[in-house]
Amino acid sequence: MSEPVIKAVGLTKRFGTVEALRELDLEVERGEVFGYLGPNGAGKTTTIRLLLDFIRPTSGRVEVLGGTGADPAVRRRIGYLPAELPVDPRWTAQDLIDFYGKLRGGVDASWVRQLLGRFDLDPTRRVGELSTGNRRKIGIVQAAMHRPELLVLDEPSSGLDPLLQYEFQQLVRELTDAGTTVILSSHVLPEVEALAGRVAILRRGELVTVASVEALRQQARQRIELRLARPADATRFAGVPGVVEAQADDRRIRLVIEGPVGPTLEAAAGLEVQRIVTHEADLEDVFLSYYQEQPA
Amino acid sequence: MIVAARLIRDRRWSTLSWALGFVGLTLFTVALYPSIKGQPSLEELLADLPDAFRSAIGYDAAVPLSSPAGYLQARLFSTLAPLLAVVFAIGGGARAIGGSEEAGTLELLLANPVTRSRVLLERYLATFGLLAALLVVFAAALLMLAPPFEALVGVAAADVLWACAAVYALGLLHGSLAFAIGAATGRHGPAVALATTVAVAGYLIETVLSAAGDLGTLRQFSPWHWYLDRNMLAEGAAPAAVLLPVAVSVALLAAGWVAFRQRDLR
Repeated sequence: MSEPVIKAVGLTKRFGTVEALRELDLEVERGEVFGYLGPNGAGKTTTIRLLLDFIRPTSGRVEVLGGTGADPAVRRRIGYLPAELPVDPRWTAQDLIDFYGKLRGGVDASWVRQLLGRFDLDPTRRVGELSTGNRRKIGIVQAAMHRPELLVLDEPSSGLDPLLQYEFQQLVRELTDAGTTVILSSHVLPEVEALAGRVAILRRGELVTVASVEALRQQARQRIELRLARPADATRFAGVPGVVEAQADDRRIRLVIEGPVGPTLEAAAGLEVQRIVTHEADLEDVFLSYYQEQPA
Repeated sequence: MIVAARLIRDRRWSTLSWALGFVGLTLFTVALYPSIKGQPSLEELLADLPDAFRSAIGYDAAVPLSSPAGYLQARLFSTLAPLLAVVFAIGGGARAIGGSEEAGTLELLLANPVTRSRVLLERYLATFGLLAALLVVFAAALLMLAPPFEALVGVAAADVLWACAAVYALGLLHGSLAFAIGAATGRHGPAVALATTVAVAGYLIETVLSAAGDLGTLRQFSPWHWYLDRNMLAEGAAPAAVLLPVAVSVALLAAGWVAFRQRDLR
């Protein structure tokens, strides 16, 4: 087992009296896409800023790529996409690419050209004249252009249209196939669900849980709808294990099920079911329940 | 020096326009000299004016205003030249760290493989390298444009260079103060405000107030006193006018560096 790419131990950050992050213990393994989820203000960006040594921990520590984010040799191996890309509006994308490329000890020009092409970015235009989406693209290109070992993505697909989101996800997959580790911070689920294997959920500066997306999906309630040949009522589902909600509406029965769906199907056997409509397991609900959970 | 080169590139046009301003000011000033030099009545006029006014224009009884050294001191070296250098230096010093941190661009730069110390040092050198370039242009303009108007008669070229070096040092000091405050706070506004306050206070202590009352001790601490203590064009170099500000600037840079290394970015 190799060293974790990111390792936080008791990581705590206070701003004055505000505790932005509290006793965070976290390990991100090499090659994984690690989702970092939480509502705005949960401490996601604080964690990233600690990681990159923009701010220093009040207590605890965080290791990155076996060293510290303060070390330029470590930062050389990191690609960072901030939530907003603050660039001098008079610069062109090319200015930024040239400048950062030199600082990183040179980058593969054909790879950069390929990235610009994929995101359909004209590098000669001034950043100040670009739309939010185009600025976002510059952020992606500069984060990926030196093929980093660790990609730190803060709300990566905000401002990208669906096509570009897809292109971006393809890029992340390519990089991870080649061994890049990704930490992907977000307050919305779909972009994390599409890429991440494991996720951490953060609320008010505290880690609520770390789980695989698959495990969360199993926790998630399923919603199914039975379409019947003739009207029926829902009372037969009342005592069935796993059923948390059953509603009848003319020739439809809507069910919310927690856990295995088998007993429900057995109970439905006597009905003349013509069609079963299922809805995607509702991960959003799982996350919301974590977000909203009151502290013990 | 990649960071320094980028800053110089970013400021090349604005610095060029400042340099043109200096050249224009120099030309305008020396071109007026022929009409002044034949006016001894100017001395009589000045003799009747209050001390505060005379010291504010850098008047020195030993150097007649109608002489090139007296004229250039009054028109350029005690007024506009240091003022412009200080304004340029404070603006550049405040933007170098504090301004770029406030704009958010510094953080993205620091995600690259550069240490904070390197960014700080390179930006310091670039900012005040540009100030040096400005003063070189000014000195060259004066040395080339003044002779046709006989506005440098009796003034040694070496003394012109010393005087320009002293203007540079005065700008460097106030610019370094703005730079250090920006580096320590990550903010642009306070850096400009505090450095400007120090510049104005120092100027008032040296000129208006010291002429009006007895501010002997306080005066010794004003950078403007080090600078205006004597007419360097007429009386030769005052090494203290260069060395003292440079020493203070180095101390300010060190203080800004220590603070910037230790603190959180905003």
